[in-house]
Amino acid sequence: MTETETDTGIETESGTKSLTGTVGSEFAEVAVSIDTAANGPRLRLEDRRTGRVRYLDALELETLVWLPDGDLRRLLDPSAHRWHDDAGS
Amino acid sequence: MTAAATPTALDLRQVEQFLYREARHADEHDYDAWEALWTDDALYWVPAGTPDGDSVQRMSVISDNRSRIATRLKQLRTGKRYSQSPPSNLRRIVSNVEILDDADGARESGDITVAANFVLVESRERGNETWAGRTTYRLRVVDEQIRLAYKKVVLVNHDRALPTLAFLI
Amino acid sequence: MTATLPETAHEQTDKYARLIQPTRVHGSLYTDPEIFAEELEHIWYRTWVYVGHVSEVPEPGDYVRKNIGPQDVVMTRDRDGEVHLLLNRCAHRGNLVCDAPSGNSNSFRCPYHGWTYRNNGDLLGYPYNKGYGGKGKLALGLGRIPRVASHQGFVFGSFAPDGPTLAEHLGAAAGELDRLARLSPEGEVELTAGWLKHRTRANWKLLAENETDGYHPQFVHGSIFSVTGSPIGALYSDNSTAVTRDLGGGHSENDLRPEFRRFAEPMRWFGTTEDRVPDYVARMRELHGPAAEEILIEGSPHVMIFPNLFIAEIQLFVIQPLSVGECVQHSTAVQFKGAPELNRRMVSQCVGSVGPAGMLLADDTEMYERNQRGVALRDPEWVDIRRGVERERADENGFRIGTATDETGMRGFWSHYRNLMEAEK
Repeated sequence: MTETETDTGIETESGTKSLTGTVGSEFAEVAVSIDTAANGPRLRLEDRRTGRVRYLDALELETLVWLPDGDLRRLLDPSAHRWHDDAGS
Repeated sequence: MTAAATPTALDLRQVEQFLYREARHADEHDYDAWEALWTDDALYWVPAGTPDGDSVQRMSVISDNRSRIATRLKQLRTGKRYSQSPPSNLRRIVSNVEILDDADGARESGDITVAANFVLVESRERGNETWAGRTTYRLRVVDEQIRLAYKKVVLVNHDRALPTLAFLI
Repeated sequence: MTATLPETAHEQTDKYARLIQPTRVHGSLYTDPEIFAEELEHIWYRTWVYVGHVSEVPEPGDYVRKNIGPQDVVMTRDRDGEVHLLLNRCAHRGNLVCDAPSGNSNSFRCPYHGWTYRNNGDLLGYPYNKGYGGKGKLALGLGRIPRVASHQGFVFGSFAPDGPTLAEHLGAAAGELDRLARLSPEGEVELTAGWLKHRTRANWKLLAENETDGYHPQFVHGSIFSVTGSPIGALYSDNSTAVTRDLGGGHSENDLRPEFRRFAEPMRWFGTTEDRVPDYVARMRELHGPAAEEILIEGSPHVMIFPNLFIAEIQLFVIQPLSVGECVQHSTAVQFKGAPELNRRMVSQCVGSVGPAGMLLADDTEMYERNQRGVALRDPEWVDIRRGVERERADENGFRIGTATDETGMRGFWSHYRNLMEAEK
């Protein structure tokens, strides 16, 4: 996907994104934007290191807001989903 | 330019008189008088679905430029526009008239933007319909006459199924 | 029929045989609420009905409110790209789950008690789950239209768990959708211009019959043809070489190609010339080579797909019956992927023609509503559908064809209607 930075957001083939930015640390870097290419707005998250993209809708985001820290910690276990024995990347 | 021709010199009373006249011509199917109110760059727009959508790329109930206004009126004048033959009996109340000076682009072009609410009762053999909504007008003074450059009618039920709307709203 | 059939079945069969005859149909078919109730069961909640187009839910998580007759349907696209047709009814107490006309959400939460569903209809969970003995205890979900299938992106649903396939239902009408799609430089139709909804106080069948009635345009639309100098009127006259074709399965078309071939002018079908849409014509020629000429000359179909989808060249209509005397016409402009120049013109022309204020459709609708009042009168009891029955013939593919103004399409409609209404539940 080719992207052009503009003042108001990023134009992509799939639609206009606004409120673009990157949340980065020494451990991970995720580009964040609101995508308007679908029938309603959704959050677009892109793992800068792998290019993997996930969209989250409003109800999913609200769910994350309410996710207990313990549940989030369990998801952060590197072997929970990404680096378990029969998964790549 | 004389003081009378300065758009901002129009007072609310003059604006109201114009809106009432436009409404009366529409109610009484006085197509010639109604047509004469329009400027050449006219847009007569009744949006559907999303009222802030696009009058060109999206479906609208009506999206007439000056040429299509002429076609619509010619069709009505044939007397064989069956959805208006016989014509509906109409009376509308135009109220809550406000001169808006912050509308996009209007000031730049010298037009003044006016908004008003309306309630309209239509009677025909099918039965009575009540129509209501908010109209945004762009008015322009041309040769010391007020003319209509833009009329956007947002029906309160713009997003619902509408009955036939073949008269001038 | 044998004497072992239950009496009610006899009565049913006799009833429709009495009301639907080869050259006339009874007025009560348009006005009897009991017949409408039977139509819901035998037609709308059984056969394939057009619901929406895949371009209306382009992204995973997209949904749009649709309908099958009075039934409130949500068309969704799940994470895997599959399109579902769900009934907008919470499995708990039957509340409507979705309110917005469209949106993007991978799950739906009922506002009443918070029950939450995936966009394929599966129940995800419910609040305070101990009241149900914990999570995942209920084998419930949103209602689903059991069979969903599409052709050229046109999504149809059938409430019958089994029966004829969509391909069998569409039969020759599938070719008309193909003919529409091939006009796109990318081979895809898109219905993305938004919809007009036109409330019509008439029985849905008056609309379905009118769609390929080539007898009415000169009369009902004479006012607009005369002021615009439109050549459409001449397509539906005694001198026209166009034909009305019964495509079987209740589908019918006004095949205008003989007229367009006679003139052999690209884009005449759209009432324009190729120099007005140069980019489009160039793309089509690039894509199809010499074959582009035929495509650009023959143009778009004018086809009524039983029971509710009507494509009139650049305009598309969906008929939604609400009661015996009321329906909604949903209309939009056909859009072709990769043809922005043409698409703009199609929206503009369509807005002028269709919907509550349309310079064509307002007058059709006036006729539907007058017709509805007329058929309720007691005498004569019948509606005549015999026009052209004597000169009708079979074409090279065995389909019945009549002249441009014959009622061949209506007779095909009623023949299929009768089969469906007489079929055992």
